Amino acid sequence: MSTTVADVGEDWLLDPALAPNAHDPLLAPLYAGAARGELVLPSCGACGLALELEQRACDRCDSTDVVWAAVVPAGAVHSATTVHRRERGLVVATEPYPVVDVELDSGHRLVMTTLAPQRSAPAIGRAVRIGFRSVGGVAVPAAELSAAELSPVPPSDTEVTP
Amino acid sequence: MTAPATRAGAAPGAPVGIVGLGMTAMSLEPGGAPADLAAQAVTAALADAGLAKRDVDGLLVNTSQGVRPDRLSVALARQIGLGDLRLLEHLEIKGATTVAMVARAVLAIRAGMAETVVCVFADAPLQPGGTAGSTYAHSGGSDGVRGLERASGVLGSVPTYALMASRYLHVTGGTPEDLCAVAVSTRAWAVGNPDAVVRTPLDAEGYRASRMVATPLRVLDCARPVNGAAAVVVSGRPGQSGQPPVHVLGMGFDHPVRRRRAGGESWFGGGRRAADDALTMAGRRREDVDVRELYDPFSVVTLCLLEEYGFCAPGTAGAVARSGALGPGGDLPTNTGGGQLSGFYLQGMTPLVEAVTQLRGAGGDRQVPGVTTAFVGGIGGRIDHHAALVLDREAA
Repeated sequence: MSTTVADVGEDWLLDPALAPNAHDPLLAPLYAGAARGELVLPSCGACGLALELEQRACDRCDSTDVVWAAVVPAGAVHSATTVHRRERGLVVATEPYPVVDVELDSGHRLVMTTLAPQRSAPAIGRAVRIGFRSVGGVAVPAAELSAAELSPVPPSDTEVTP
Repeated sequence: MTAPATRAGAAPGAPVGIVGLGMTAMSLEPGGAPADLAAQAVTAALADAGLAKRDVDGLLVNTSQGVRPDRLSVALARQIGLGDLRLLEHLEIKGATTVAMVARAVLAIRAGMAETVVCVFADAPLQPGGTAGSTYAHSGGSDGVRGLERASGVLGSVPTYALMASRYLHVTGGTPEDLCAVAVSTRAWAVGNPDAVVRTPLDAEGYRASRMVATPLRVLDCARPVNGAAAVVVSGRPGQSGQPPVHVLGMGFDHPVRRRRAGGESWFGGGRRAADDALTMAGRRREDVDVRELYDPFSVVTLCLLEEYGFCAPGTAGAVARSGALGPGGDLPTNTGGGQLSGFYLQGMTPLVEAVTQLRGAGGDRQVPGVTTAFVGGIGGRIDHHAALVLDREAA
């Protein structure tokens, strides 16, 4: 598959086989923006409402004008999980990894993992910045937490899954 | 019984019921193509009803999404040797499809467009060389939102439901003990169900020792996929085998559009209308319901649905579960065959099969005494689609 980012290192989490289709008509603007380091998401061209990724018409003003544009890459954690199951051949990380559902300041919601390996998921409500990791050469959004923001490992997360 | 109809279907106002129930063995081993499993279940359901294939003039097909290329389709009618049909459809509203099939069958029969309709679901996610979890992890592709989420480590369905569970516990102020209580009570029911695939007794200690899959969900919070099939026969005429009648008194649907946006909940706050409509149509109140059979792919969903459908006040289902009310001997018997968690994961068929079994008084060791009214709840997607039935021993 062709790539949108050249000469990138290997992802900390996933095998390159999980690269998303950067030319998928639905999300091509997101991937093109991510390759430039911009978080590009859809909004209503008429009233500006943040739209879901698959939304084709505005639920507030009924406009079908969908505009993909860069938004502020910041938000807060809506929910989070630490995934212990690591499918052989797909997950290259050797420790449990976080998946975070982020409420962006732009009004959008987006599910992502973290930019760097992190042993546990950030707490709900915690502020995050959005950066980008590269999976098989395709840039995808990832949550960035400063070292000071790392949440402590709760007791239920302390076991190691074989 | 009103006078026999001269057209197909039931006489106007006559009760429509589930007159046959058939299942394959629920297998934890690879093997069996969905069409073969479906054929076995249909044959068993017709035998249970005392009917022959020539008595069937409708077939509705419910297949699993995604993980296998050889899914069921309307070709099943030919594959299993049925004759000419009036009604033949493949329905698809994800996990809510089984309940939708029953509703579709009832409406067709009431409208005179069919008389006896078989509804079947089959799935065979267990394949040689990999676990079901592995099969699900590898499915989903690289396109669309699913492709983006998979590239973010959302493999299979557990991480998404783990996000929901984390949020549910956050919103309700609950703890993993709430989930534990569901897993333990559901297992207690499975102990009494010979068709359940996991029947060893479970306590909180055993639950807490089980493998974490995605916090807060442990492996015992997740459904047990099986290779198997189940079928029911819906008819406007009584069955011929002497089985107790199971009438479909109420049906309801709700498809809430909850936007995934900042500042709101996107998983909770839907489905109430499905329950209200089904109960209203049936002329039953929530307190009339003897058993609740709910689609429970994950423990957290049982808690969500008890609240969404109005059997528990919002935010209280965890405490209700911890009180033991959901389990054997409790005041709110729920998923009395072990559900999808400990029984078997045949999507919407799991709760439907158990409701019919309880209403027939055929539950053996897990039979709830004196069941006359059962509530069946099916969900699809990420609790995006709700479908409810009220089934009853009485005809009105």
